[in-house]
Amino acid sequence: MRKEATKFGFLLPGLLYLMAMAVFPLIWSLTLSLHRWKAATAAPRVFVGIENFLNIFFRDPRFWNSLRFTVLYVAIVVSVELSLGLLLAYILNERIRFRNFFRVLFLLPMAAPPIAVAFMWRMLLNPDAGIVVKILNSLGLNMVRWLTDARLTPFVLMAVDIWEWTPFMFLGLLAAMQSFPVSLYDAAQVDGASRLQIFWFITLPLLLPIMVTLVLLRAIDAFKLFELVFGITGGGPGTSTESLSYYTYTVGFQYFDLGYACALSWVFLVIVLIMANFLLRRLRRGGMR
Amino acid sequence: MPGLSSCSFRYGQSSRFSGVLSLPSTSPGEQYTTAFLPLVQFRPSTYAWQVVLGQAEGERTRQGLRNSVLISSLSSLLVLLLGSFAGYALTRFRFHRWKNKDIASWILSNRMFPPIAVAIPFFLIMRTLRLLDTLPAVIMAHTVYNLPLAIWLMMDFFRELPEEVEEAALIDGCSSFQAFFRIALPLSLPGIVAVYILCFIFSWNEFLFVVTLSYRKTMTMPVIIAGTLTVRGLDFWKVSALSLLAITPPVVLAALTSRFLIRGLTLGAIKE
Repeated sequence: MRKEATKFGFLLPGLLYLMAMAVFPLIWSLTLSLHRWKAATAAPRVFVGIENFLNIFFRDPRFWNSLRFTVLYVAIVVSVELSLGLLLAYILNERIRFRNFFRVLFLLPMAAPPIAVAFMWRMLLNPDAGIVVKILNSLGLNMVRWLTDARLTPFVLMAVDIWEWTPFMFLGLLAAMQSFPVSLYDAAQVDGASRLQIFWFITLPLLLPIMVTLVLLRAIDAFKLFELVFGITGGGPGTSTESLSYYTYTVGFQYFDLGYACALSWVFLVIVLIMANFLLRRLRRGGMR
Repeated sequence: MPGLSSCSFRYGQSSRFSGVLSLPSTSPGEQYTTAFLPLVQFRPSTYAWQVVLGQAEGERTRQGLRNSVLISSLSSLLVLLLGSFAGYALTRFRFHRWKNKDIASWILSNRMFPPIAVAIPFFLIMRTLRLLDTLPAVIMAHTVYNLPLAIWLMMDFFRELPEEVEEAALIDGCSSFQAFFRIALPLSLPGIVAVYILCFIFSWNEFLFVVTLSYRKTMTMPVIIAGTLTVRGLDFWKVSALSLLAITPPVVLAALTSRFLIRGLTLGAIKE
């Protein structure tokens, strides 16, 4: 029985910490989501059952707008990042000499604080003095309102995300490609396979499992989009770039409509956990042999 | 959130220059133009640095740096302490009621939560405990943010260690805790350092928890950067100087541990 005590002695501190700091807040948030509690007014907290959730699903176009934007954002950003990352990894896989240099270089956008990245791009895209805008202007795009056009700005935000996170796909795929046995490629070459055939029939199938994992990782992360919106557009123009995180943040910390914000965050949480479930199954298979 | 909540979309009389990170060296008073070639288009000066580090706002910046260093290093230390224990437990012992795999997956699922979902109840709890705008509040938040990843990665390291050495020590009369502290921990030191650095970077860069939990005394560098956004717009030179200060430490650390960073970012799915 001494053994039993020891093993729980090792596990419990961390487990209890997570229980107290993640599980308890979330359960409390679930009970709050059943209340009407506008902390900005003096009105007391009232139990309203699932009213908040009904409002979210049936009476809140702003929620649907933010969900639509977030889903579109994730879909576009992840697929472009995957394609670009695959392309880069494929090109640079054979030039191993610069591998370390490229790895460090490509890590920089991911290692910098996202909010600093956001402000940097906000400056680069400033209509009066942003360098990127100046360059685009000189290419004849001077009538384009990059950050104030509700139809265009969502895509500008996606472009920044692609700049920031393509390296993630690239480095992940490159690392995977480097681990493939050379003998496979040699054999294929001996058999007279073309480069395209080698890529299509050998590299791609081998990469597929890691590609799925990377896509899930990136999709879950992109779904929580917050800093870029906060720093570059503030959700605007209008609500055209309001992500689910940003909308929940606004409701919670600007309107102080805490019951509703908790309900929103639970809807958000359930969506993310469904995606996370797929990812966890994959990671388990890889990590726990 | 005084000051920060106003994040509406404004381009007031924002500032004078662009040319982002070369900016800190430009001086004000010149025309409002696009200038990015030093000495050719503008005369470099240390004006921005004098403002950011000198009399005017030096105290605020130094406090931000101090907070960032304190929060990142202390929360990562706490993460490491709790994480290595739990990681060790899940690799060296067998749990029955819930299997090790299930516990590990549950732990990692905590990493996937959208931070905003935890941030609202966290804010309310800290308000009740009167811990808003204190270092412990932010440190606790960052610890729970990084702990799942640390446990998950530590499990990898302990799994790679040969168990025989510890078993021999146990037979020789070591307790499990001694075997952990004297053998497993020193042997996995490189991994521990890497996890520490990774958590340090994530904590340094984290924005949402800090912006919701602190408003004056415990702002970290990312929040100070966000705080430069005022009703008047954005002071390019100031943002640039502050950004350089905020970007340098994590980027240098990431460059030093570049191999491990991929592993951490992919939650251990890719081991380079």
